[in-house]
Amino acid sequence: MAIEIPKEKWTSAVREVTLGATSDQGGTRKSTVTVGGATALPYLHFEGKSPNRPALALEIRDRKPGDWSPILLEAWGEAMEDPSEWARAAEAAGADLIYLVLGSTTKDGARNTIKNATATVRKVLDSTGLPLAVIGPGQAEMDNELIVPVAEEAKGERLLIGICEEKNYRTIVAAALANNHLVQSKTPMDVNLSKQLVILIHDMGLPLERIIMDPTTGALGYGIEYGYSVMERLRLAALQGDKMTQQPMFVNPGEEAWRVKESKVGEGVPEHWGDWKRRALNWEAITATTLILSGADILILRHPETLKRVRPVIDELYKPESTF
Amino acid sequence: MTTHKVTLLPSEKEIEVPTGTLISEAIQNADLEIAQPCGGQGRCGRCAVIIDGKGARRRSTIRLSSSDVEAGYALACQAVIEGDVKVTIPEQERVIRRLVTDKSAKKIQLPFPYDPESMQTVRAFHITLPEPTLDDNRDDVSRMETTLSTLGYGSVEIPLPMLRKMGGVLRQSNWAPWILLEIDEGEGQRVRMIDLSSKPIRPIGLAIDIGTTTVTIYLVDLESGEVINQAAEYNNQIAHGEDVISRIIFAGKGEGLNILGQRIRETIHTLLERLQKRTGIELENIHKVTISGNTTMIHLFLKIPPESIRLTPYIPVVNQPFRYLASDLELHVHPLASIDCLPGVASYVGADISAGVLACGLTESEELTLFIDVGTNGETVLGTKDWMVTCACSAGPAFEGAGVVDGMRATQGAIEEVWVHSQTFEPSFRVIGDVAPKGICGSGLISLLAELFVTGVIDRVGNVKLDLDTARVRQGSHGPEYVLAWGEETESGKDIAITKVDIENLMRAKAAIYAGFSVLASSVGLDLSDVQRVLVGGSFGQYINVEKAIQIGLLPDLPWDRFTFLGNTSVLGSYMALLSKSAREQVRQIAERMTYIELSADNEFFNAFTAALFLPHTEINRFPSVAEVWEKQT
Repeated sequence: MAIEIPKEKWTSAVREVTLGATSDQGGTRKSTVTVGGATALPYLHFEGKSPNRPALALEIRDRKPGDWSPILLEAWGEAMEDPSEWARAAEAAGADLIYLVLGSTTKDGARNTIKNATATVRKVLDSTGLPLAVIGPGQAEMDNELIVPVAEEAKGERLLIGICEEKNYRTIVAAALANNHLVQSKTPMDVNLSKQLVILIHDMGLPLERIIMDPTTGALGYGIEYGYSVMERLRLAALQGDKMTQQPMFVNPGEEAWRVKESKVGEGVPEHWGDWKRRALNWEAITATTLILSGADILILRHPETLKRVRPVIDELYKPESTF
Repeated sequence: MTTHKVTLLPSEKEIEVPTGTLISEAIQNADLEIAQPCGGQGRCGRCAVIIDGKGARRRSTIRLSSSDVEAGYALACQAVIEGDVKVTIPEQERVIRRLVTDKSAKKIQLPFPYDPESMQTVRAFHITLPEPTLDDNRDDVSRMETTLSTLGYGSVEIPLPMLRKMGGVLRQSNWAPWILLEIDEGEGQRVRMIDLSSKPIRPIGLAIDIGTTTVTIYLVDLESGEVINQAAEYNNQIAHGEDVISRIIFAGKGEGLNILGQRIRETIHTLLERLQKRTGIELENIHKVTISGNTTMIHLFLKIPPESIRLTPYIPVVNQPFRYLASDLELHVHPLASIDCLPGVASYVGADISAGVLACGLTESEELTLFIDVGTNGETVLGTKDWMVTCACSAGPAFEGAGVVDGMRATQGAIEEVWVHSQTFEPSFRVIGDVAPKGICGSGLISLLAELFVTGVIDRVGNVKLDLDTARVRQGSHGPEYVLAWGEETESGKDIAITKVDIENLMRAKAAIYAGFSVLASSVGLDLSDVQRVLVGGSFGQYINVEKAIQIGLLPDLPWDRFTFLGNTSVLGSYMALLSKSAREQVRQIAERMTYIELSADNEFFNAFTAALFLPHTEINRFPSVAEVWEKQT
């Protein structure tokens, strides 16, 4: 007797959002990235479509970070000294887009400047044809100060800019509105808060097609299951027709995985933890693949090798034989 | 183009206007003034005029009652001229007063027809005793017992202080003294003598509500049942914590419990002295006291360590306290007066709620009723006369005007209603007592929050939009704020403002209350829209505007005629129990019948809470009437 697999009928879909603009579209990008569009829970191809693959971004900085793991420094080497070199290296490593984080200070320890920020963004735009996300240092005042001129400098490029948080979103949303960019809507692991910030941003007049939702997550062993559950509930709400939860989801497994002890510490840990580098890469890769399974649409990674490992997982999820 | 003649009274100015002109525009074209605090949106009802003739059509009557419309009132900003019409512009003051009178607090009525003989446990009698002679040489007490047995009281307890003065009083009164008895609530045979005098005794009682934030006292004549006077004040315990949890923690440290016990006595005594000054009634002539309050407040008043209330599984020492003498409880009323603390349900649903349920009449109706006590602890009861479920959540003191920089109780000088102009963001407001404003009371805060939201001065999480083009929004010492009154117009000379922190406190308070009753409804498989009556208790102001309370998402979006505002239901229930032994018995039954739902048992409450931390709510489709107003606005 044939077994009939019960199928969930969803009424709605995740919104499709495109990052980057080619010259026809008013920008200078050679390619764009479209995410979202899923009509079922992640990769249940027998129930619906997941038309766009998750996009993998590599994170670069406007200057070589002082607090990154030696494993990452070794991987990127000289390229970290210059953002355009780093962007090129990231493109060469297979990234779908570049995630550029501006620091709060310059190399000599002084407060970062508008001039440095805009010049860095210009250099990166000139050195790669990939879509670009540009994120401020994460302090409201500096984010606003740096991201507004960056948005103007890159007008029309459909950058993803951020961080928009509940307490500080109006300035960055206004900059996105004026210069045809997208925003990253970041909230602390709560379904309602995610939805509320999307509503606030949309209330300012930014179309939903230009909002990416960052529900925040934790690394493997550091709350990933809580983050996973929030993402799952957001996706369920989206498929059930809740318009303000239908934004594609952005997560940063690179940042999360590289700040936990297991990837940070090479010495003085139990021997059975094994080889440091292998452990650190596993941590980032497993965090990332878990989040892919929970429905993440854009993932930020730090190590080029992680990207090389995660990409085949995505390919596997899309192989015809993985569908029922 | 068709034009019509508009005659404006009392100035008798005439003006021709085209069809479709609003009366407010016609008034302005005629160079006359009419106040439009909300910017001509039909929200505030302040531009009411009287129209004569059929030449004007009311687009909206949202602010007018049917009797207003019958009397010819129309809102100038919502009335379209379609023919010749006479318009009378009332003096602004008159309009305000007219709007005030139908909403202001009522005098406290007797809750039921009062018959002291069948209801009251403390009663005064003027009796006559047989004078002793050499032949009739029984002692004074036997003489008293004999007389009382003729009144039907078989057993009398005479406390020592009464015994000490008995001989003197009996002789001084020429064997015709006045006595005050407390009649046992059981079969009525046993009595206790509370007072004895050669002069008439007027039995006086107190109904007290010990709120976490506000203490309210009714001084009651137990003969007529009338409230002679009332007084309310902030609870002095606030200095040791704003909510019950912080008070419990304070009570657990060193002399904490004693200090809190003293603070509540200070508060009660301050209020009693105020009542004494107003009425001339001496404190020692108060013979009966009924107290309601949440379980923690009752524990602290009785100086019972409340620690276990705070710790899982949240068990109080006592839900149904016994009766004690005023002298034992160090309450400065008649030392033999009994102090009756009403029974509660659980640690977080106390006597204030069982009394409130009695007062609101929930148990008398078949209709599905939601009773919400908007206080520092937001308790909710849902049910009919056959069943009741209840829950509690910590809302904080914001709606009582505490925990807000310029907040105050609803007394003279409190801003109690606010309108904000939708284009200029300039406010107008009404102050209790029509004096220079001192602060903002609970109803004013609800009104202000709604107006700031509807006019877009704040966003839907309550952030003040500092980029607006008005000096009213600014970065203050407590963060972003909106200035409601400039120093030159206030009593203190300082600006009255609502800060971001105040707004956060209000948002949390309203979200907790909304989440409480929405979880309660879903726990019994009902939807809020099934609720037929919403009874709202709480001492947050003279009156609360339903529309504004819905706009901020404090109350569910139901037709306005389903809401009734009852004021402080806890003290009302306490008053009823003070008057009548059957009411007192009902409070006990109510407390026993309510099913308590513990919200901390699962995460549904937290989810409902964060969803409600938005204006009016994250799910806007739960608030269709608000969505309509708000979308028109933006």
